[in-house]
Amino acid sequence: MATGNYKQANRRYHRYLWPTIGLYVVVCFGGPILLSAGWITAPWAPAVIGIATALPIIVMFALMLRLVEETDEYTRLRQLRSIAIGALITLSGAVMIGFLQLFDVVETFWTFWFGPMFFAAYGLAYCVTGRLTSNGVV
Amino acid sequence: MKNHLRRLRAEQGWSQAALADKLGVSRQSINAIETGRYDPSLPLAFAIARIFNAPIETIFIDERGEVPSSRAAE
Repeated sequence: MATGNYKQANRRYHRYLWPTIGLYVVVCFGGPILLSAGWITAPWAPAVIGIATALPIIVMFALMLRLVEETDEYTRLRQLRSIAIGALITLSGAVMIGFLQLFDVVETFWTFWFGPMFFAAYGLAYCVTGRLTSNGVV
Repeated sequence: MKNHLRRLRAEQGWSQAALADKLGVSRQSINAIETGRYDPSLPLAFAIARIFNAPIETIFIDERGEVPSSRAAE
């Protein structure tokens, strides 16, 4: 895979990331206020606000994918390793919780926690992957 | 793979960040290559060779052995 341009990719990533985070914060806090204050009473309103809150997070995933494609080759390797580790931890947690629910050990689990769980695992993994060699050895 | 990148960079008086800027990669990439934690792709290795105006084989050292005898005879 050809090497990309690290600075350009980062600049492009941040140019779209911060407005997306801003939009998420506005919708995340504004949505429940609109509903609880009774300003929107339509039956479809909760569904629309729910989807509107999820959309910026989906955009963040897409931005992450574009950053991985556009950045330089070493950063791409680190990013992909971190995403793989983050996915491994998150999916392991999801499977574990799923079976615990099946056997009535855990009653309910808010699935949207898997998003923050992935980002936390990905972030921690990114700190560690800087110490790895090309072959994955520390 | 070992390399002479750190020495060549020092000879030019460039920081890791300066060399990274010239190559369009992160400073961490340069550090990883210099410390042998990352072997660059051919396009990046050739870009490094071009910047130092040196043949690629004088910068990167293949530690895994000599040229096979049948090839050497060619």
